[in-house]
Amino acid sequence: MNRLKQDALLSELADQLNRLGSWCGETHMQKATYFLQGLRKVPLGFDFILYKHGPFSFDLRDELTSMRADGFLELHAQGQYGPSLVPTRRSTELRQDYPKTLKKYEADIEFVCDALGNQNVAELEKLATALYVYFQRESSSQKVRAKILHDLKSHISLSDSLDAVKQVDTLIQRSA
Amino acid sequence: MVRIKSNGCDLFGEVLLLQWLIICVTVSASNMPKSGKIQKHEHEVRDPIHVFIHFDSDERKVIDSRPLQRLRHIHQLALTYLIYPSATHRRFEHSLGVMDLAGKVFDIVVKDQNVSEEVRRFLPEINQENKLMYWRRVLRMAALCHDVGHLPFSHAAEDKLLPEGWNHERLTKVIILSEEMKSIWAAMTPPLRPEDIVKLALGPRKADLNFSRWETILSEIIVGDAFGVDRIDYLLRDSHHAGVSYGKFDHHRLLETLRILPTPATREPALGVEYGGLQSAEALVIARYLIYSQVYFHSVRRICDIHLCDFLAQWLSGSKFSTELESHLSMTDNEVTAALISAAFDASKPGHEAARWIICREHFRVLYERNPTDLAVNSESASAIFDAAVKQFGAESVRADKYTQKGGSHDFPVLQRDGEPVSSLALSETLKAIPIFAIDYVFVKPERRLEAEKWLETNHDAIIKEGRAKEDE
Repeated sequence: MNRLKQDALLSELADQLNRLGSWCGETHMQKATYFLQGLRKVPLGFDFILYKHGPFSFDLRDELTSMRADGFLELHAQGQYGPSLVPTRRSTELRQDYPKTLKKYEADIEFVCDALGNQNVAELEKLATALYVYFQRESSSQKVRAKILHDLKSHISLSDSLDAVKQVDTLIQRSA
Repeated sequence: MVRIKSNGCDLFGEVLLLQWLIICVTVSASNMPKSGKIQKHEHEVRDPIHVFIHFDSDERKVIDSRPLQRLRHIHQLALTYLIYPSATHRRFEHSLGVMDLAGKVFDIVVKDQNVSEEVRRFLPEINQENKLMYWRRVLRMAALCHDVGHLPFSHAAEDKLLPEGWNHERLTKVIILSEEMKSIWAAMTPPLRPEDIVKLALGPRKADLNFSRWETILSEIIVGDAFGVDRIDYLLRDSHHAGVSYGKFDHHRLLETLRILPTPATREPALGVEYGGLQSAEALVIARYLIYSQVYFHSVRRICDIHLCDFLAQWLSGSKFSTELESHLSMTDNEVTAALISAAFDASKPGHEAARWIICREHFRVLYERNPTDLAVNSESASAIFDAAVKQFGAESVRADKYTQKGGSHDFPVLQRDGEPVSSLALSETLKAIPIFAIDYVFVKPERRLEAEKWLETNHDAIIKEGRAKEDE
């Protein structure tokens, strides 16, 4: 997927997250993109590794910075947790150049925003890490995966880990 | 024995004591090396940035190893000395500086009074003295070795000049894990695991290994986006040698206020600053922005890098640098510079034309540069102009260059006076306002410059509008 097409999809994702009242900081965009690419198989082409707050893509971080440099996204001040990423008028023009691409992935973006739009960073960390564990150990039971999640992120309790694994399994079923 | 009386004091005892001391010193001296010198285990070198850099005998063995000594022959700023003549410093002294800073930051952030109970719970390693000693050593050695994989002239075009899947970080990993270095790591006190050094030297993005929370924090000290000491040293050192003020900031204040703090949203620990250090952190970000635009991405420096790549593609066997360890260690700026000068004045040699462009200062000139007005019409305006210029003047007469700043927003935890961490972007208007650095250049051969400028003046608007990419599905 070429860069501008990728930027059009990321702009649309940010726009919908903002409209749903999401904080839409960098972490929200990271986790939402992880679901979009991993669960919904939208071919954005970012490499994710397990890092701060769960799955993280350095390429995506650079791309979001590049979108700010090109005037597609802006930082808007929020409270003590840092700013939101808000699409600009220029990003609207960009999206107008890619109607077919946006139509093709419209349902995927809606699905991800519906699932994650109202989650805070701590919740997103749990869910995205649970999805990461699912991709690593698809055939393992929920309890085993919850234990792995807890071992990876010791500040997430075992019961919270199990809840996150169950929520992700529900999302996977809904997505199928 | 004569008793000497003086001013009412009995000197007999003092003379005896003196004799005893002489005997002690003589016996002790007989145990020393015959040269009579005291064996030093702590060493130091002078440095224009950090004044003195200290290291011990174990660390000196690493400094004296071939991979580190090779860095004496790799320019820190590649061909930047063609624009800033005194910017001829090498990766060697930068590596020493990064090692020095890494140790200083480590000592500050693990100091008892600087670590909260919450952070201690997340990072139990901080409570174990023997582990701290081990990791301090690993951190310093990782900092020292973080650049050993660099190709001649540092970053210039490594993606084009190395085989698929290779970069300087992978070469760094190979060197740290080599037999020569492994024997040095094993002989250290305490012995170091080479894999730990690789992790901290490369960081999570490049190491392709799983990182614990503790290892993540330590790698942040070296390669971190916000306060990595690699960046702190190169900003200070490069501005010093280039003779510019852009990269300077109050790094002493910044270092003293660095802390491991909980991230406000998740409480996961990250490198941040105390409230009093926020302005120093702002100054670091401003310094970075300014030196990028004035030095690192100076148009002449960039085109010389491109020409160097043109030259190397013709001069190197198979158009690639070897990734074999012995060949890598044998190849420095010296070999390339000698070949470059020779080729510039001998038309029969490979890369003659590109060598002339650099050595005889016949480099391509800027035809077009990214600007906000054109970006508003077409975010790929430079690409559109490059494509049109290639059609008009031929690929041999046109070159393009593009770079956008890497990393995220300048978001790090700041410890407020009430003890609560807050996002830096919630406190600092400055950090939010600093522009993102981006360049887009189109260059043209000097002899076609006037013609190209006239052509662009006539066709600029049409190219920008028509060149707008719309490869929709």
